[in-house]
Amino acid sequence: MSAIQLSSVTKRFGDIEAVRDLDLTVESGEIYGFLGPNGAGKSTTINMLLDFVRPTEGTITVLGEPVEAAGAELRERIGVLPEGFDVYSRLTGRKHIEFAIDSKEADDDPAEILDRVGLSEAADRPAGGYSKGMRQRLALGMALVGEPELLILDEPSTGLDPGGAREMREIVEAEAARGATVFFSSHVLGQVEAVCDRVGILHEGELVTEDSIEGLREASDSEATLILTVDDATDDDLDAVRRLDGVSGAAVDGSMVTVSCEAGVKTDVISTLGEAGIEIQDIETESTSLEELFLSYTDGEGVVEKEGTGTGEPAVATPEGGQ
Amino acid sequence: MSWLVVARKDFEDSIRSRWLQGLTGLFVGLVALIAVVSLRLSTGGETISTNALLGANFMGLLSGTLVPLIALVIAYSAVTGERESGSLKLLLSLPHSRADVVFGKVAGRSAALSTAIIVGFVVPAVILALGPLSLDIVSYIGYTLLVALLMSVFVAIAVGWSAAAPSQRVALGGAIGLYFLFVPFWEIIQFPLQIAISALPEWVPVSGTAISNALFLSNPASAFRGLTNALLQGQLFAGETAGLQVAALSMLLFWLLAAPLVGLLVFQRRDL
Repeated sequence: MSAIQLSSVTKRFGDIEAVRDLDLTVESGEIYGFLGPNGAGKSTTINMLLDFVRPTEGTITVLGEPVEAAGAELRERIGVLPEGFDVYSRLTGRKHIEFAIDSKEADDDPAEILDRVGLSEAADRPAGGYSKGMRQRLALGMALVGEPELLILDEPSTGLDPGGAREMREIVEAEAARGATVFFSSHVLGQVEAVCDRVGILHEGELVTEDSIEGLREASDSEATLILTVDDATDDDLDAVRRLDGVSGAAVDGSMVTVSCEAGVKTDVISTLGEAGIEIQDIETESTSLEELFLSYTDGEGVVEKEGTGTGEPAVATPEGGQ
Repeated sequence: MSWLVVARKDFEDSIRSRWLQGLTGLFVGLVALIAVVSLRLSTGGETISTNALLGANFMGLLSGTLVPLIALVIAYSAVTGERESGSLKLLLSLPHSRADVVFGKVAGRSAALSTAIIVGFVVPAVILALGPLSLDIVSYIGYTLLVALLMSVFVAIAVGWSAAAPSQRVALGGAIGLYFLFVPFWEIIQFPLQIAISALPEWVPVSGTAISNALFLSNPASAFRGLTNALLQGQLFAGETAGLQVAALSMLLFWLLAAPLVGLLVFQRRDL
């Protein structure tokens, strides 16, 4: 049985199509990273899984049950960390966890959960005084109550420092080891690649690729950018190169020729240029990083934040090598 | 009983609100003030009965005017406020249906406000009973409970409206509108309406009394007034208006359920 299944799901808000004809399956027991830049439709998709918003077209089943018909009971088997939530500012952290325990009719020990998410010391303070990161931890704690079969986490690392993000990943891994399916969204590749069995990249409401991290890595490793310094070349000289199998693009700028191609055809590119009578003075090769691959899928709109440098400022980059 | 869990959480949250704590203090103060003023004005001597106190004009003003206002103010944001802040997402991430949320909030917030009412009425009565106030316990408790019921009915109306309203601003505007409809407007149209009814042509198939009764019953504030008047006269569910009183109580209970239900029907279809 798949944990999550979306078939031809479209969601329109007025004229805006937030999600378009989305097919997505998350298998039981896997950790699925749902990746995409802000505004790609990730939260809308998650809100549909939770019946917060309803699809305009298509069907959604979660844990084998159609979401809208299943109602509240389905959420007894799911732990949710929603996006854009707020806490009850007058109630303490402990009260929040107790409320989740009562709501799910679970028998967890509030102290144990609070300890797990690192809120033991703040447990008896009103949650209104919590920082963004602490609120995030509190909501994660509420999600963990009752050993859910499926965890749905929307941007779980929001507001967490690098240490907190690592703890979050450890919890995700522990939950998966217990047998839970984990579906989480992020706009930061670094958080996803370390833990996910599979990732899907959403861009402008559509799933542009879906693969394992290894698969993505292979794709990025096999893709290379050749930067050649030549004596002289015109755009027409490159036509022969562009005709080669495995070449995805070529461009010339003065004495600089840039060719994007599979790693295996690099020698073919060089010899083809030689045959065209172009003298090559220098050769540089750049392999495409996983980040660049992610960016290439999302038209450079993603935010790549390397772990540890997390200043929160989005470092928007565009992939090299005129594709 | 998922709605009970929601109700308990909402109660615990509400009683920690400074607003509610302030209101409780206000009730204690106002009831005490009315008692002292009534005592000064009374011509009957050194003591005053609680029945006379509750029958005082000020008391009618406090219950009939202030109670609906407070209920609407405290409850209009019950659903819209949580939707706008995002805590509703936390609530609906747990296994609660939207119906649990709406009815749980009616119950929780009514319980919190009823606590304020009960403290507000009981504390001054107990203190003053040591002095010049002669306490008629049964009617005093009865009156307090009826005020709590009136409060709950307006909470139910406000929560129902809050569930249906698309935004916090619409919720606030609507709450103000509902107050003016049920309190001053109803009073204002009474007199012209009585005149119109008395001039009804004979061919109209309903009697003037029936129209007037229907109007009296359909406003929770006037239904409440009918019941409390009967209570203070020792005629609760007795005498010639007994049937009308039962109808008034039924109408209050109808509001208590129907208003949140209508709000829920709209809320069910809405995207968060």
